[in-house]
Amino acid sequence: MAISTDEIKALARLAKLEFDDERCETFKEEFNEIIEFAGKINGAIVGNSSDIREIVGEETQYAELREDEERESLPPEKITSGAEAQNGYFTVRRVVK
Amino acid sequence: MKYELVSGFETHVELATSTKIFCGCTTAFGGAPNTHCCPVCTGQPGALPVLNKKVVDFAVRAGLALHCKINTVTHLDRKNYCYPDLPKAYQISQYDKPLCEGGYVELPGGKKIGITRIHIEEDAGKLVHERGFTFIDYNRGGVPLIEIVSEPDISSPTEAREYVEQLRQIMRYIGVSDCKMQEGSMRCDVNVSVRPEGSTALGTRTEIKNMNSLNFIERAMEYEFARQVDVLKDGGEIEQATLRFDEKTGETYVMRTKEDAQDYRYFPEPDIFDIIIPDEVVAREKEALPELPLEKTTRYINVLGISPSVAALITKHRKVADYFEKAVKAGAAASRAANFIVGVVYSTLSTEEEKDELSIKVSPEELAELVRLTESGAVNVTVAQSALSKMLASGLPLSEYIAAEDMKGVDDGELERICAEAVKNNPRAVADFKAGKEKAISALYGYVKRATQGKADIKKADAVIKRLI
Repeated sequence: MAISTDEIKALARLAKLEFDDERCETFKEEFNEIIEFAGKINGAIVGNSSDIREIVGEETQYAELREDEERESLPPEKITSGAEAQNGYFTVRRVVK
Repeated sequence: MKYELVSGFETHVELATSTKIFCGCTTAFGGAPNTHCCPVCTGQPGALPVLNKKVVDFAVRAGLALHCKINTVTHLDRKNYCYPDLPKAYQISQYDKPLCEGGYVELPGGKKIGITRIHIEEDAGKLVHERGFTFIDYNRGGVPLIEIVSEPDISSPTEAREYVEQLRQIMRYIGVSDCKMQEGSMRCDVNVSVRPEGSTALGTRTEIKNMNSLNFIERAMEYEFARQVDVLKDGGEIEQATLRFDEKTGETYVMRTKEDAQDYRYFPEPDIFDIIIPDEVVAREKEALPELPLEKTTRYINVLGISPSVAALITKHRKVADYFEKAVKAGAAASRAANFIVGVVYSTLSTEEEKDELSIKVSPEELAELVRLTESGAVNVTVAQSALSKMLASGLPLSEYIAAEDMKGVDDGELERICAEAVKNNPRAVADFKAGKEKAISALYGYVKRATQGKADIKKADAVIKRLI
């Protein structure tokens, strides 16, 4: 197994999600399938590098970076349109006691 | 057993760019909630970040000013954490390849505080917790920051203050940030640990988060040092924890312990490739670095002969230092010009912000002229200071306040007559002076000053009075 139940529980805690033990086991199996599939990519890599950056080999030159020029922001009602909002603020259930 | 304080700082400085780090939204402070936002800085699916060139320029400049090595091949990383101040549930930051590494900040006493690294990252949004809700404003989300990480070289709250003050002055001098602590454009996380005096091992540290005032930093460090020493003296152990400082009680409180420490699961940011910075950009930024505050202070003391305290007061604000240097260039005697600035100009500027801005109505050339007249003895110091005060208030030229007769001072015959009067009207002071009380003569100076409305040259008057008695 590429991933343990404890690791699944740790990830759930970090994602602020709660699962019972049975669900964790199902997740473990599903995660393992995904990780094993992704592992096939490693077998396909030619060369010795394990650094994804070297493998991809793409770079951004300084000259290609964005100039510090202002662009219009979106209207605030559009920004909040896909979420719960009050008086222009996004709202969530209070996160601190 | 005696204990000593060991402290390192992580300082976040907001960069003074016009736009955010990965999109073209404005970085202006304030504004109605979520009005400085777009799909990129609110983390909408499919939106792609494009790094702002000026962020790289400013971070390179900051690194050079703090004597760092610049990594000309660098990259960004994702720092994952789930909290509503981050719409993407990760912050784009730098992990294993920061833009700058290995520099130092020199304190006024000569001690060097090591700089481990400086990296670039995006700021988070602002949260307001009210009633049953958390209200979120992403205007600040995506504003560019540099995080300056120091070595644990700071060993007292006073050194901490000096370190933060130096850092703030340097960042302002080089124009990368306004470092307004009250607006949050400069904030510090303070790491504190203690160890037996003389030991070189590091104790378990606690981290006080988000400090935005020098006074609070000093108070929090003093409190935390005493608390840790108490725990150790009672035979206890320090628990690694993240703390919050309560400004009202002056105490620190635990936000989270090591048990629930963050696990950020850093990984390379896949939306932005490695960034290649040409050597010419580093050379250009190096070339453009101004003389830094501490170098300036040293030069003022050693070359211009200004007292250390006055020199520090002038170099504290770049515009004041520039003003002073223009006045000196226009022919003003440095020491006198400096004293006029600190004594008279500063008395009209009550806040640090006003000194920073230095929007005053007297040009450096006018100040130089006034200093020149004072130095040549044509105008005495009292008259000059009073004229400068009036010029600062009205913006009118020097000639409005110093008439031809002021400049002439008081002619010798007149001075002789007034000094004689002074001696005649102050028999007691004369007697005291003759009996050896040297200070008694000041009553006679006072008489002469009043009688001439401050125009008389007191050095001359002194000679005349002493001759008469």
